[in-house]
Amino acid sequence: MIGIISYLTFFLTITAVLAIAVLGLNLQWGNTGIFNGGVVAFFGTGAYVMVILAGPERAGEFGGFGLAWPLAMIGGALGAGILAFIVGLATTRLRHDYLAIATFGIAVAVEVFARNATFWTGGAKGIRGFERPLEAFISNPFVYGLFYLTIVLAVILLVYLALERLVRSPFGRLLRAIREDETAARSLGKYPARVRLQAFVLGAIIMGLAGGLYATFYAFISPQDLAPILTFQIWAMLIVGGAGNNRGAIAGTFVVWGCWVASGWALSSFAPADVQIYAGTLQYILIGLLIVGMLLAKPRGLLPEKLAVSTHSFEPVTPAKATQAS
Amino acid sequence: MIQALFDGILVGSILSLGAIGLTLVMHILKFANFSHAELLSIGAYCALTFDTVLAAIAPPMATLFSPFSMSAALALAMLASAAFTGGTAIIVDQLVFRRLRNKAGALTMVFASFGVALIIRNVIGLIFGLNTQRYSDEISFATMVSADPLLLIKPDQVAILVMALMAMVALHLLLTRTTLGFALRAVAENPTLAQVNGIPLESVVRLTWIIGGGLAAIAGVLYGIDNQLSPVMGRDLVLSLFAAAIVGGLGSVSGAMFGGFIVGLASSFAILLLPAGYKPAIPFLVILVTLYIRPNGLFGETR
Amino acid sequence: MSMKTTTLWGALALGVCLPAAPALAQDCTVKIGAVLPTTVDWGRPIAATAQFAVDLFNEAGGVKGCKVEMSLRDSQVDPKIGVDAAKALVDLEKVPVLLGAVSSGVSMPILTSVTVPSKVMQMSCCSSSTAFTGVAEEGKTDGLWFRTFATTRNQSAVAALLTQERGYKKVAIFYKNDDWGQDIGKLVQADLEKLGIEVTSSTAITDGQSSYRSEVTEALKTQPDAIYMALYPSEGTLVTREWISLGGTQNMVVANALKSDEYRDNVGLKYLGNLVGHDSAQPRTASAEDFVALYKAKFNAEPNGPGLPNSFDAAMIALLAMQASAESTGPAIAASVGRVTDPAGEAIFPNKEGLEKAIKLLDEGKNISYQGGTGPVTFDKNGDVSAPAVAWAFDESGTREVKYFTLDEVNAFIATLEK
Repeated sequence: MIGIISYLTFFLTITAVLAIAVLGLNLQWGNTGIFNGGVVAFFGTGAYVMVILAGPERAGEFGGFGLAWPLAMIGGALGAGILAFIVGLATTRLRHDYLAIATFGIAVAVEVFARNATFWTGGAKGIRGFERPLEAFISNPFVYGLFYLTIVLAVILLVYLALERLVRSPFGRLLRAIREDETAARSLGKYPARVRLQAFVLGAIIMGLAGGLYATFYAFISPQDLAPILTFQIWAMLIVGGAGNNRGAIAGTFVVWGCWVASGWALSSFAPADVQIYAGTLQYILIGLLIVGMLLAKPRGLLPEKLAVSTHSFEPVTPAKATQAS
Repeated sequence: MIQALFDGILVGSILSLGAIGLTLVMHILKFANFSHAELLSIGAYCALTFDTVLAAIAPPMATLFSPFSMSAALALAMLASAAFTGGTAIIVDQLVFRRLRNKAGALTMVFASFGVALIIRNVIGLIFGLNTQRYSDEISFATMVSADPLLLIKPDQVAILVMALMAMVALHLLLTRTTLGFALRAVAENPTLAQVNGIPLESVVRLTWIIGGGLAAIAGVLYGIDNQLSPVMGRDLVLSLFAAAIVGGLGSVSGAMFGGFIVGLASSFAILLLPAGYKPAIPFLVILVTLYIRPNGLFGETR
Repeated sequence: MSMKTTTLWGALALGVCLPAAPALAQDCTVKIGAVLPTTVDWGRPIAATAQFAVDLFNEAGGVKGCKVEMSLRDSQVDPKIGVDAAKALVDLEKVPVLLGAVSSGVSMPILTSVTVPSKVMQMSCCSSSTAFTGVAEEGKTDGLWFRTFATTRNQSAVAALLTQERGYKKVAIFYKNDDWGQDIGKLVQADLEKLGIEVTSSTAITDGQSSYRSEVTEALKTQPDAIYMALYPSEGTLVTREWISLGGTQNMVVANALKSDEYRDNVGLKYLGNLVGHDSAQPRTASAEDFVALYKAKFNAEPNGPGLPNSFDAAMIALLAMQASAESTGPAIAASVGRVTDPAGEAIFPNKEGLEKAIKLLDEGKNISYQGGTGPVTFDKNGDVSAPAVAWAFDESGTREVKYFTLDEVNAFIATLEK
């Protein structure tokens, strides 16, 4: 029994951390229509900056500032925000597909930097030895797991409430207005480029926060955490849950991460030993099928956006229409 | 220096072939197809299968044309594979992208293409195994063309370059000398007007996939000859292909050709300036610089 | 030879004494967890080898008469997935022992956030990062961490020794751009320079690149008289073929990761005549030969590939420790590892007869000295193996041993390097 609770605590913690990143993406894509193909770049920056600020001293490498954990978390989030600002200046004015590819490239660049710049990031071996907040006082790992889950849930609740307020505020309406029709928004005297940049940076800050929580949870970060597959996972969560709907974003995280984990478990428990060796490959195929199937069956997600002003996600795109739109 | 120039052109020619198909699809179907690079893998593995079969049926065909590590069987296999890959691309379109075109946004398709890429890559891994493979295990030795500055060229490299250029010329003729080519260009220029003039959209879409898939297959085979086959080769090439397409400007065939060479050269020269570990980020830097200077790519129309 | 004969006689004698095959009490099972990257080319055989060890052990009677079931989960080389799989195995399937992972980037978070907090023993076949020694020295592994892969320090010294012995003066280094490669690349460079050998270039090879020609060309320009490669077969093949086809020297010193049939066949044996590799210990003892024979019988191929003997030994030692331990808890099993790898104990080879004998001896309270695919394994207090080293070369049938370095020789050489 305690094993099940222990695993559930673990599962919920990682799901909640990922859900925060999905909320950040929902602000960018769901509400503003910015296609960020490099979620992992901001997630990873948040994680690395946090670990460097609050982490241990490393011989011959940068870091060991011993900053208090909450401050380091804020630092990590800001780091992600600054990266987004620099990147956004160059890319948010681009058309969607260009933006997707440019941000995809940023994720690769961040990973490459983390892998090679040993002085700053520890190189491929990563940074270990992070002291988790209050770990010294809570020695029982089971209790500590529950404690950390509480922290993560508190953060996700805060982010969720803040985003809900934001979405309902005039700024939120402006974001959707720009998503729907940039020209119309401009004719009303708004500055779409600036507003898009704001939303992009804000979303990145939220992803950076998730990254910080992630690195704290594992007390370890390495370039392997920055593989492009994470971007794909986060996107899958948002699309399955329903872009534009914060609750959908969270629900999608549960469903996708749950399926990802459960399919691994199911294959390892039920597949015969000879097939076990191929389980990982089969799992990827299943996940690919799940996502494509979901897009075909319910393109607007499990919990579609409620303020159904959007026309962009279910109207057919004929080449003619798309030419005008872009 | 001159070595980097030559190597860059060679890699560039392969990227160009892949990027041409990608740019056409992105332009006519309006979505960034992340699964395009997997067509290279399909083509490469398909040719491997045909090659093995042909060599078994008619062993003389498997004799290598010295000093090249290519055989008649492989040449035939490459053509068969181009047709097969074009067909596969149409099937994937019918199964996934066409359905989404009718009911979802372009970005849903981008995302679906991620999923398709994942499926194709792992199915290949399941069928052919995860190990790397080659068409010929012979090593083709380089000839030293010049000692200082150092220039080493392998016969295979010349052959690959020639084949890539031949494929590009063939495509150019197809686009400029045939009715189909006119229809395709018309749709690319102005889809509505093209339809008004009685050009059937769906058949142009099919043609796009055949061209894109066929060129991708040839690129995949050439890549396989130059390097090796692996189920994840598509994943490794995807960013470079996108970079080539974007640098050239979407929809521009000559742009994609040119873009491929730029990306190839940039990766090849990068090592002179940066530590080798940073090489994977080069295509991205090329994209960023291009978009910063020309947001629609070098040959793209301003919108 | 004499050793082998004794074992044979011993096994025969046991075969007479014991009931023909200790029938498994089929109604009980013992679980062991494994988190390995089955989705990558070099990961799949590692998992298959671990499964093979479990099958062998079951043939010999299983752990305490119970059938061993290995729950294998794919790590996808993704730390999130790997840690989740480990957590599920530990919490839900209650495994007391976890095999894995391969990459240090996955093993490390599993160790710090799953196995140590949950008091589960973790035995990795292949994580070689020196970071683990650091964690152990800080006292953060609680003695639950072991690995059957010699640390990079050990390997790099042997690499330098081999280079020196062969009289190479200028060496270009290619290293895989991951934690293992960066680590060993740096150490080998330092060791070579201490020996007065010039390192003309040191090039990172990031996997998943479309071509390595420019990396190879740059190294070629420095005109080394030998190259050192710490690469995996997949990119190692590409780099070597490129290197040879461009007329580079065929004097090569390589790390054990390239000890693979795939690499040999793909590059071509005729170009690898001057290649010498180092390995922690594919020793000349009878045990290693037994492992090779067993492996050949099962997979119809030589056990050549990164981490195969290591994976086999990791599983075997874990199973033997489970047999030796009174309780089925992580700390108790970890404490029993010493009983299984006691140099003073009777030598045990991992075939059916050997294992049956081992089970019997352990049940009698005696210690054994397990001698598996990587030789007589012993762990130090940090869970690291100190192993003798071997130089090997490729031949028609696979690989052959060129030279054997005893543990003392290796340690003495490291001491001279560190002076």
